[in-house]
Amino acid sequence: MRSLLALFVGTSLLATPALAQTPWTGGDDLPATPLACDATVKTVAPGPYNGGAPTGAPNRAGKPLRVVDIPKLVGVGYFASTASGIQQAAKETGSMTVTTDGPTKANIDEQVTFIDNYITSGVDGILFAANDPVAIAPVLKRALKAGINVVGYDADAEPDARQWFVNEAEPNGVAKALIDQLASEIGATGSFAIVTSTFTTPNQARWITEMGAYAAKCHPKLKFLETVEAQEDNILSFNQAQTLINKYGDGLKGIVGMTSVATPAASEAVQQNKLCGKMAVVGLALPNAMKPYINGGCIKSTVLWSTVDLGYAAGLALRAVADGTLKPGATSFKAGRLGELSIINQSQILLGAPKVFTKADINDFDF
Amino acid sequence: MTTSALAPRRLLPRRLPGASQELVLLAAILLIVAVVGWINPRFVSPNNLTTIFSGNAYVAVAAIGMALVIICGHIDVSVGALIGVLATISGILVTKGFPVWMAWLVPVLVGGAWNAGLGAVIAYLKVPSIIATLAVLSILRGGLITATGGAWISGLPPDYQLAQFRLLGLPSPVWFMVIMTAVAAFLLRNTGFGRAIYAVGGNREAAEAEGISCNRTIVGVFAIHGMIAGVAAVLFATQLQVIQSTVPNGLELLVITAAVVGGVSILGGIGTVTGAALAAILFSAIGSSLIFLNVSAYWLRAVQGVLILATVLADMARRGRAG
Repeated sequence: MRSLLALFVGTSLLATPALAQTPWTGGDDLPATPLACDATVKTVAPGPYNGGAPTGAPNRAGKPLRVVDIPKLVGVGYFASTASGIQQAAKETGSMTVTTDGPTKANIDEQVTFIDNYITSGVDGILFAANDPVAIAPVLKRALKAGINVVGYDADAEPDARQWFVNEAEPNGVAKALIDQLASEIGATGSFAIVTSTFTTPNQARWITEMGAYAAKCHPKLKFLETVEAQEDNILSFNQAQTLINKYGDGLKGIVGMTSVATPAASEAVQQNKLCGKMAVVGLALPNAMKPYINGGCIKSTVLWSTVDLGYAAGLALRAVADGTLKPGATSFKAGRLGELSIINQSQILLGAPKVFTKADINDFDF
Repeated sequence: MTTSALAPRRLLPRRLPGASQELVLLAAILLIVAVVGWINPRFVSPNNLTTIFSGNAYVAVAAIGMALVIICGHIDVSVGALIGVLATISGILVTKGFPVWMAWLVPVLVGGAWNAGLGAVIAYLKVPSIIATLAVLSILRGGLITATGGAWISGLPPDYQLAQFRLLGLPSPVWFMVIMTAVAAFLLRNTGFGRAIYAVGGNREAAEAEGISCNRTIVGVFAIHGMIAGVAAVLFATQLQVIQSTVPNGLELLVITAAVVGGVSILGGIGTVTGAALAAILFSAIGSSLIFLNVSAYWLRAVQGVLILATVLADMARRGRAG
């Protein structure tokens, strides 16, 4: 027992100095590039095109296209909604027939087989969301070699294995959306804590660093308290949120959930503590998981991207490369109802700001 | 039962050092509560104490079954996956419109039946339990992801949320933990089957000589363990309004750790279920205190590791196997 006490005190002492170093724990050490405080989009030159090109593709400008969409897997709400966006694009252009087909589980081997079969059967275009960026590259390169137009969305392949990739969100965009939403819910001087997966999970660490930089620039009076880890475990996330509420009481105005597990779990903790309306939860989460809290009025919003828009932009991009209107060197892409989208990272189309789902529209989404 | 003479002798060494593992754990919990509560009084607020007791309650429930399995001389590394699968079954039943009581009961029955089969493979086909349950872990984990595609289950009715019910101000998982632990401890101590579990884990040949059917005991223990895992799964599934239909990462290790730190000898034949529950509460108390002391949660894993090592070494020393 004495050793336990010694261990306990010892660990506390050991860990204390580390706390003083970074103001926002759980972030990474890479530089941040915060966006402008208002909605203006600063255009950054995308750099030289590094995507691939189909060899010997026929002139498809204005001609009907037979397109296959091969997501990571079929039968889940997420990719059902991207597929519906792609169908919207097909309908709007009036000249594409798109079939969505793919493995029933997110398995790269099966996905490669599907793509292979469609190359053999002869299609004009392939849309994909890769299960693995490296493993999918050879089969996509075969498609390019067969003269097929290839555009990715949601999950990229190696750049030279496809022509364009529609990127759903950049870390600084996610950070801006979360912090703006947080400030609007807890006020400019509100205090908040973060529930993340682990301090070293790359995506979450990147977002936290960007959030710290963006808050320093645009909401400098927001009061960051601490970041706690909860893996991707919903009970642990709930317990950690609960402990934060116990620790700070009225001193805590908001919890930011960095994972799709932490956000609903923190919402549950707020609801069970009868703190609806007094404590905000802002975070990334799938709409379905947040519907009970948002429809019930306890939580105001959840942040993610519109999967329908993601599919829609990907569909339009495929039509545009086939028509030759989206060419290497482009700095923006006109995406129908979404307006002008920026080209970033040499050969990616940025979908734009993440979407804030609220009571008004969350029931229109099923994923 | 003829085992009555055997079991107390086996239990004897555990009581020799003066302080049993249960008392050590209880003291550790009280010490943490006192020290951290002194540093930050909010730590000992009723709300936070409730969080500590209920936080790992479903782990403590699952650890009861695990303690039985380990005392009986075996191990089950598939319990986390089983809980994930049973929670998903429960959620699917209730969202398909089956009555709530069925969504609560079916996981218990399925868990019992499944693990009875697993126990039979281990007992009669003589497959080492670590191998058999490792295989089952892969089967369940892979099967679950295939079956659900990783999609979560939402749209659960409010009267399904068993883990959110409260009685006398305490959340139901705490009651499940306390009552099930008490019942299991009583049965383990006072029934022939309970003593047979110790006998089989302590010395299989001697148990057979005493007329105990080792194989039937093992199957029975695994079946009970499966049913208890079903209860844990229902508590796990009903805590939030969405069921994450994947296997909670490392849950089996947490359950095994609670049993071992609770004083169950990994070599079999020795231990109680009370210690396992106390260990689960201790982990929860440590986890909560790390937040109150602003210490990285990484230390929780490290502390758990040290506790396992210390407990196992102490156990070996008691048995005279360490130099």
